[in-house]
Amino acid sequence: MTSAIGPFQVLGAQLYSTHHASAEDLLAGRERPFTPPAFRLLVGRARRFTSLVTQLHIEVCGALGGAAAAAFAVFATCHGEIQTAERLVADFRDAQVVSSARFALSVHNTASGVYSVAIGSNAPTTTVTGGNAIAAGWLEAALTALDEERCVLLSIADEPVPAVLCGPTEPAGIAAAFLLAPATAAPPPAGRRAQLAIEACGACAEAAPREALGQAVAAVGRAQPSRITLGRIHPGAVLELQIAAEDAGR
Amino acid sequence: MRPGHAITGAAIANCLGTDHGAACARAFAGGEAFSPGGGFASFPFATMLGVMPSPAGDAGAATDDDLVDCARTRLAAIALASVRQLAPAVRAASRRWGAGRVAYVFASATGGLEETERALAPDPRRPPAHAAYRYENHGIDATSAAIARHLGCAGISLAISTACSSSFKALAAGIRLIDRGLADAAVIGCADSLCRTTVFGFHSLGLLSPVATRPFSRERAGITLGEGSAYVLIERGSDATWRHALAGVAGVGGASDAFHHTSPHPEGIGGQLCMRQALDRAGVSPNDIDYVSAHGTGTQQNDAAEAAAVARVFERRVPVTATKSLTGHTLGSAGLTALVLAIESLRRHEIPATLRVAPADDALPVAVVDGPRPGRLRHVLVNAFGFGGSNASVVVSQPSARRA
Repeated sequence: MTSAIGPFQVLGAQLYSTHHASAEDLLAGRERPFTPPAFRLLVGRARRFTSLVTQLHIEVCGALGGAAAAAFAVFATCHGEIQTAERLVADFRDAQVVSSARFALSVHNTASGVYSVAIGSNAPTTTVTGGNAIAAGWLEAALTALDEERCVLLSIADEPVPAVLCGPTEPAGIAAAFLLAPATAAPPPAGRRAQLAIEACGACAEAAPREALGQAVAAVGRAQPSRITLGRIHPGAVLELQIAAEDAGR
Repeated sequence: MRPGHAITGAAIANCLGTDHGAACARAFAGGEAFSPGGGFASFPFATMLGVMPSPAGDAGAATDDDLVDCARTRLAAIALASVRQLAPAVRAASRRWGAGRVAYVFASATGGLEETERALAPDPRRPPAHAAYRYENHGIDATSAAIARHLGCAGISLAISTACSSSFKALAAGIRLIDRGLADAAVIGCADSLCRTTVFGFHSLGLLSPVATRPFSRERAGITLGEGSAYVLIERGSDATWRHALAGVAGVGGASDAFHHTSPHPEGIGGQLCMRQALDRAGVSPNDIDYVSAHGTGTQQNDAAEAAAVARVFERRVPVTATKSLTGHTLGSAGLTALVLAIESLRRHEIPATLRVAPADDALPVAVVDGPRPGRLRHVLVNAFGFGGSNASVVVSQPSARRA
């Protein structure tokens, strides 16, 4: 069983990794020393109090030219503000005190809120989360672009999970942003024609999140067609991003 | 108006009770359900809480090992109180459409934070965490797989978390899945459990009321936190589904304040935009709305901003009620909880009262419903606004209204 969602256009893609200089380096396993994002969109207090995951979101959204014009924004994160949450609980345990600034910025949609304030956009946002956040984020963004017939910003990011929580041990903070548009827009936007496909796959291995992000960003910049498994979308199926050859949508 | 999507099942569980019918009856009777600390924990400051009675450790008649295991967390136990009541309707939908065509979309603001708190900051006055802590129990989607399997939903599964607008963003996602042909029915569920970190957090922001919350009162002093779950089953509109529909989701709107992370825009710009969008998508005018179920948290700023937004959109003193005076602020569950009470109001043809309003704040340009108000009801607009300036509104209508 295959269900297709699309077609739509991917107008641009950006990736940032604290431990990799590019999508190609990420996919090749070439690491660099930890390098925090510059996140130039934020100043002052907003910059001082934001977590790594929010900085990562802001970095890739800011780097994606034209993202501010998106009519909708979908943020996706597997773990949310996990470092902030762990510090909140630790502060509470140690001193029976919870910082108001830290608490306010502990919600999963912190990045989308900070971003909408930074660029002054009243566009609706949502935040998709959970173990399948990459696939779910792509699905929500593509459906929104098709439904609303407008540009949609998709930003996906995660920071390392504190060791004390005994969660996943990915050491890098990684983010990727994509700008999606309906394929029916007139005049047709200059992007890569793409669609999502739900592929029946009861026994497939789980997709590796950072590889899926790296492959998706690399594929947008490549001329050849690509198929990237984004992750499980329901118990018996995975979601696949299918990008057509470069001239197919022109 | 436009046909919308049929709501064919609904359930809530919160401080008003763990049985949907009893909780609704208590809400419409204006029952008080808050208590100091709620027997939940002790705090070095005065606050009231809306604690759900006996949520822990009850998986009902479930035999699914995963479900029994996850039900030991407070979040899952709270969710299951509603899930059990909705299960017959969901299983019927699975038979009607096929299990793979029933999606499951779950929303929460805090997810399993309480479980993490119990592991990292155990309270000597409370039972310890149920077993060895598992990181998976922290996630918003910690309960999703087990509950979806328990309900017989084998379709697309999503988890959404946008603070206090979470459940309406989940509703919008579920509707998109149906509209694009990826599902024929969707279970939209939400749950949030109280934990000390959350209570201290709202206190640190100066938003907690020392007494039971008094939305839209001149003497309002802040939020009363609560916990609870709300679930609805929405189905693709057809003659068969509309025949047994409780109500219809006529339109959903969303917008951002773009103002401040925790403070609302003083004129409620985001609220105005999302209310207008919901009305537009429903194909109804402001004059068609019988009352607004406000986000109504009871803080000075939030109520003033929301009242300004409502006045700007409706251009009349539309009746407004705030069900958080009954349930407390259940965070990510707040929107859907208010929506389920709105569905009940459509059934009863009665607007639930906002408790403790007097003396009303005359500076607010809205007509707050401070006692039970019977009347012929066709359309209700429900608001859910959250941190990050994340706003959402839903128009819910009588099933018969779709034919008007």
